[in-house]
Amino acid sequence: MNTPVLHAQSLTKTFGTTTALAGVDLIVGRGESVAIMGASGSGKTTLLHVLAGITPPDAGSVHYAPAHGAPVDITTRNERERSKLRRESFGFVFQQGLLIPELTAIENIALALMINGTSRRVALEHAAGWMASLGLAGMEERRIGELSGGQAQRVAIARAQVTGAELVFADEPTGALDSQTSNDVMDALLWSTTGQGRTLLVVTHDSEVAARCSRTVHVRDGHVIGTEIVNTGVTA
Amino acid sequence: MNARVLALLLRPAPGQGSTLALPATAFAMVTALVLTVVGGAQKFWSWTDPDAGLYQALAAIALVLLVVPLATLGGAAARLSARRRDERLSTLRLLGVSPAGVTGATVLESTIVAAVGSLVGVLGYLALVPLVGLIPFRGEILGAAAILLPPIGILAVGAGVVLLAGISAVVGLRQVVISPLGVRMRTSVPRVHWVRAVLAGLVIAGAFVFVQVFPGTAGLVMTIAVLAGMFAVALAVLNLVGPWALKVHAQRGLRRAEHPSRLLSARLVLESPKAAWRQVSGIAMASFMAVFAGTGVALMNTMSATESTENLTLAVDIRTGLIITLVASFLMVAVSIGVNQASSILDQRELHRSLHFLGVPVETVDAARTRAIMSPLLFTAVGSALCAAVLVFPLVGIAVVVAPLSLVTIAAVVALGIALVWLGVRVTRPLLSTAFQPA
Repeated sequence: MNTPVLHAQSLTKTFGTTTALAGVDLIVGRGESVAIMGASGSGKTTLLHVLAGITPPDAGSVHYAPAHGAPVDITTRNERERSKLRRESFGFVFQQGLLIPELTAIENIALALMINGTSRRVALEHAAGWMASLGLAGMEERRIGELSGGQAQRVAIARAQVTGAELVFADEPTGALDSQTSNDVMDALLWSTTGQGRTLLVVTHDSEVAARCSRTVHVRDGHVIGTEIVNTGVTA
Repeated sequence: MNARVLALLLRPAPGQGSTLALPATAFAMVTALVLTVVGGAQKFWSWTDPDAGLYQALAAIALVLLVVPLATLGGAAARLSARRRDERLSTLRLLGVSPAGVTGATVLESTIVAAVGSLVGVLGYLALVPLVGLIPFRGEILGAAAILLPPIGILAVGAGVVLLAGISAVVGLRQVVISPLGVRMRTSVPRVHWVRAVLAGLVIAGAFVFVQVFPGTAGLVMTIAVLAGMFAVALAVLNLVGPWALKVHAQRGLRRAEHPSRLLSARLVLESPKAAWRQVSGIAMASFMAVFAGTGVALMNTMSATESTENLTLAVDIRTGLIITLVASFLMVAVSIGVNQASSILDQRELHRSLHFLGVPVETVDAARTRAIMSPLLFTAVGSALCAAVLVFPLVGIAVVVAPLSLVTIAAVVALGIALVWLGVRVTRPLLSTAFQPA
């Protein structure tokens, strides 16, 4: 495995009487694409949220090692610091895209940069570049409702990448798409992440999506029950 | 659907207190205001002398002016009540509950919330009666006994408010049923044509010419009649041109937007200039009236030495009436904005949650929605005041319009309105913040 970019140790998280994570350990290497698979309620989305600093764990730690700068223990950071980290270093793609319907496609992407203080002109230039790379040239001024599901997901991918995020978290990114569009979206997601030396973590219940990643982590009842190196078929 | 399922459905979910309290407060306010205004009108209608007709006509105008914000507020409150249940309702439909059962549950809840609010409103009205009774008209106080409605009148108003809530819930729910993804899937921005501005310009020019040729020697009563006519025309013009003016204003804001909150707020207005106008139109009306109130105050100062006692009393009474109408309008606009904001926050909860995941600070979203209200509001308030000034100055002279007393009154009234609206937006911030909290 490459140099670790994320290192989670003994993560536990409960919601009321439900245990979502029961001592999870996970290492993600730089440039890897890791699929987290499991049935509904297995704890896979909670794991993604804890790794991304969205939800603090009850116990355990998550160390993030940026390409430049000192490693950060995400779990010891307060909400404001974690928000900043997510804004500047992480990218997110959700099942429904969850783009802002009032903004145009290009504005949705540029907004991610503008929030970090980039000027609007530069942000729009970068956004246009990403749109062109993902086959969305000419759709800059379209509103989200005017895009197909696959196009909207590619806008979401561009939004996740435009800030130069080292690590992209995707939660069922193809869950609402047909198989052909799903393939296209995975192509775009992999090209824009691991294809550029970045790291991808995907939560999915779709084995075809998982098969496109370099490694699959299986989760059940809050435990990691196995890791599969997809490319070689090795199971750990 | 049996009673046990209904009881389960109607049980408030944890953390949804504000979405119940807001419509209930709105209904309480609507009830208290309607009762107070109708109570005051009751006193006016008890007069039988020759001047009584004019007072009754003015009271009728004030009632009509209050009907629009009242209906807007009532409708907004009912929609919020209905919206709150959307998710549960769609689940219920999937579970096989009939559409009628689903509608029934929603309407019943809106009605219960309205009934509770209405009851609080009646208590509020009863508490207000002694204070409102102290307001002087025609040189003497109205008196608490004279403005206290009979029990049947109170019951009728209360029932009317509850009925309005029920009807609005049915209408609101039907919209949800027809297009559950209406907001997210909207594909084209509704167009607001510039022809509106041309029409409005023509009407204003026509009114201005009419006021110019209107004999300056006409009596006060005639002047009031003309003013009332101008008032109606101007309100119609404001409603015509308002959405277009807000669109142009927001487009300019969009071109200049460097900060994310400015970009978002401009797009929020452009998404539906008509909806943005509906939210602030009450203030446009109030700001318009403020110019009349302000010039009225200044005019009274100059005419106190020359005019007859009757005319002077009438002028004082008109000012009092305007101030009461203004305060009532402001309160209703502020509460409807609060209720509308709560509704829209509930609609966009998923989106806000995702923005939180992306690390977007709650302050950015809050600044955007506040700006999306306050920017059109300021623009509208100033624009309406200018429109009113154009119409008023040929009648009373520019000296009266820009008299310090006049300007201070206008500024104070508009500032009060703006502050109340800001408060209306601010109270919904905790609701927005819940989407930005870690799980």
